Amino acid sequence: MLVLLAGWTVYLDAVVTSRFEGRRFEVPSRVYARPLELYDGAAISASALRQDLELAGYRSGDGSRPGTWQQNGSRFLISTRGFGFADGDEPRRRLSLTVSGGRVTGYRVLEGDNSPIIRLEPAEIGGIYPAHGEDRVLISLEDAPPLFEEALLTTEDRSYYDHFGIAPLSIGRAMMANIKAGRVVQGGSTLTQQLAKNLYLSRDQTLIRKGNEALMALLLEWHYDKRDILETYLNEVYLGQTGSRSINGFGLASQFYFRKRFQNLELHESALLVGMVKGPSYYDPRRNPERALARRNLVIDLLEEDGVVEPAVADKARSAPLDVAARPSWSENRYPAFIDLVRRHLARDYRQEDLQSNGLRIFTTLHPAIQEQAEKVTSQTLDQFDQGSSNTRLEAAMVVTSRDSGEVLALVGGRDAGFAGFNRALDARRPIGSLVKPFVYLTALSRPDRYTLITPVKDVGLALEFENGQRWEPGNFDHKQRGEVPLHQALSRSWNLPTVRVGLDVGVPAVIATLQDFGVTSDINPYPSMLLGSVTMEPVAVAQAYQGLATSGFNTPLRTIRDVTDANGEALSRYKLEVNQVADPAAVHLVQYAMQEVMREGTGRSAYRTISENLGLAGKTGTTDDGRDSWFAGFSGDLLAVTWVGRDDNGPTSLTGATGALPIWTRFMATIPQHSFSPVVPDGVQYHWVNSEKGVLTDEHCENARLIPFIVGSEPQGFEGCDGDFSRRLRGWFEGLFQ
Amino acid sequence: MSQTVKHFVLLSVFSLGLAGCASDIYAPPGGGDRGAQPAPQPPRVEEGEAPGSPRLSEQPRNERQQERAPTPGYQEQGDDLSPAAISLIERADALMADGQAEAALSQLERAQRISPRSAQVYFKLAEAYARTDNLGAAEQFTMKGLSLAGSNSRLQKAGWELLASIRHERGNVAGAEQAEKRARAL
Repeated sequence: MLVLLAGWTVYLDAVVTSRFEGRRFEVPSRVYARPLELYDGAAISASALRQDLELAGYRSGDGSRPGTWQQNGSRFLISTRGFGFADGDEPRRRLSLTVSGGRVTGYRVLEGDNSPIIRLEPAEIGGIYPAHGEDRVLISLEDAPPLFEEALLTTEDRSYYDHFGIAPLSIGRAMMANIKAGRVVQGGSTLTQQLAKNLYLSRDQTLIRKGNEALMALLLEWHYDKRDILETYLNEVYLGQTGSRSINGFGLASQFYFRKRFQNLELHESALLVGMVKGPSYYDPRRNPERALARRNLVIDLLEEDGVVEPAVADKARSAPLDVAARPSWSENRYPAFIDLVRRHLARDYRQEDLQSNGLRIFTTLHPAIQEQAEKVTSQTLDQFDQGSSNTRLEAAMVVTSRDSGEVLALVGGRDAGFAGFNRALDARRPIGSLVKPFVYLTALSRPDRYTLITPVKDVGLALEFENGQRWEPGNFDHKQRGEVPLHQALSRSWNLPTVRVGLDVGVPAVIATLQDFGVTSDINPYPSMLLGSVTMEPVAVAQAYQGLATSGFNTPLRTIRDVTDANGEALSRYKLEVNQVADPAAVHLVQYAMQEVMREGTGRSAYRTISENLGLAGKTGTTDDGRDSWFAGFSGDLLAVTWVGRDDNGPTSLTGATGALPIWTRFMATIPQHSFSPVVPDGVQYHWVNSEKGVLTDEHCENARLIPFIVGSEPQGFEGCDGDFSRRLRGWFEGLFQ
Repeated sequence: MSQTVKHFVLLSVFSLGLAGCASDIYAPPGGGDRGAQPAPQPPRVEEGEAPGSPRLSEQPRNERQQERAPTPGYQEQGDDLSPAAISLIERADALMADGQAEAALSQLERAQRISPRSAQVYFKLAEAYARTDNLGAAEQFTMKGLSLAGSNSRLQKAGWELLASIRHERGNVAGAEQAEKRARAL
């Protein structure tokens, strides 16, 4: 029997030491959204501001206690808590501002460091957790706020510094206290026993388990000193549950319940957390505020009785409200598709086990308001498509980036955005159809000696015969042939025959080279069918390629992460903005003209039935055979968005780019305050009034006159006014005079 | 970093000009209080164009438009820096003066996110990269800035001079001369 006990003790000792040392350092990484930056002129709507505040754990209140905000009409009072960013601390401030017309005005710092721009604390949007789902923010004993240790020991284990793991005396004292109070106010277990229970044992109440617990407590005390054990207890104690994750330790609990750092807790907050140890769910201050308040005040009573705090201090703490922050949004991984991309980017530089256990802080580019809007619009639009139609089980994906920085602001992986399944934005690889056309025409327009926007292109059928005897006979979507059309119209109307002719003229290899310059990495078969988009790409890869078209020919690698720091805020990596010129800005400018024409007159013009004409947009539709893929890729001054609609089984649909992907894109764009797309005319480009059908310069007020950009030297030489139409010219002259 | 580059990259924000006028912004209908409202309706569906019933053509119907469609937009010059971006650039300047070019880059990237269509912010990024001896990035940011300088000859000149000094530093003599020629022509 004795041998058995000795053997068992040796076994438990091994368990105790290995688990105690191993477990102390496992801290998941935290993932943050981009912080909201507020300044005069910032583009934001009132609802998006409220949403950002709520996500960052702000409460609607008086706007003067840190972490509260108040709205009065369009005026906001915001009191920030301050935050340690990778590039320095953002101090606590109080500010007032007005949100109107989609932007911030009247920004003023009322209290704190004056600055024309401030950052709110970023919303926490997820974490990278160890497999067992336990979450914690590591703290050290030195971090404990004043009176915290006293409150904990007074309530849970008065003789902590005197016992050797178990305390028969304290069991008796607990019984006395309970009798005095008429209910259970103290447990008999020492902190060490509680820790042993948490670390190693199941929750069942058996004598054997109690015996093991006592034995392990003794072993813990024998191996480690009191401070070490207490510190581990502070980090291990179970204090709540959110979804599948448990809230362990006072560090995380401070964040979870108060949105505060452990160090900054006030007495009434410390008392609440200490009180909750007894039953985190029973005393949950969000669900059972009255019980929690009574329990908290009991802890304060005990401190007062023991003379740890003066009666006046105790009274003040007892009269304070619970002060619990709004329930944080990161209770679950709310944006699984986006986090998926973040993880893939992180995997380039970090090992999975480091992410799960080293408590890294990952600052991402996610824009919560834009993400929510993208998700909402995608699922709503697909639901409408479903109604009374043959389009069953349509799926969709969407990628939204910041046009000039390449930051990924939102990512939708499917119609059920909360579901962490197949991420179509990253993994659905589909033929891009007409989305390839801007690259075909860019290749052509880069040769101004040969092509301009008004170069006439044959819109006449053709057949290609290959060496193996195969024939390829492309046709227009509407099966019509128009003889000859100006190049800009061929692109804006997405006609196939002119595209194939231009593509064959400049050469398929040249078009492939252009695509590769713009960051396309997928294999491209060098067949003429690639000119109509047989090349397959994922939505995120399309967004990458279009980034160069949306800027002035500069590739900007997509990024989801700005900074990674360690748990103490020390910078580990920074992912910088990069630009890389891959095309002549002048040629890109011409393509951008035609892509704006797509929206004004071409295949994308239905967008302006929803969006105000004042918002300048550019884009391109894409459709593949039998509507298997419906694409739209387009941009404003601020945002680039790519949408895809189709079926997971690659089956046919009745959609085109204009009727499937474009409505999602349009409804999304319509709700975001943003600037127009209005490209700067680059060096070497000049606008001329031309009659694009006749290919001549003309007068501004002639019929069919268009203001079209040309690379200098490639503009037409001939001129043809509008003879005979004297009254029109006269009217034009007057209009010109008074403009 | 050589003295040449240092000489040219000391572009003060003020020498680059800073009017603080913000360009027009599109505000979604509903006064920005769309939280309380349903999302806007999708495009009104024309007969035969319902998402459920196939539309025969990907092309628009009315080829001949009576009214001239609004011309695609463009602008002759990039945007001015916003006051918030200017304050961040000033912070970056102070950091650079203190030898902390890496820290300056963080502030400049914040400024770039606020004023992404202003040439100046890219010239400042180029300066910071030149100070960290990352001349490849410095050249790229200069060219990006130049693509936004438009008809502003002061910005064009500053950009070409900056480009000339960076190319010179990289040993690209021909490229540097070409850039100098462009600067002189302004």
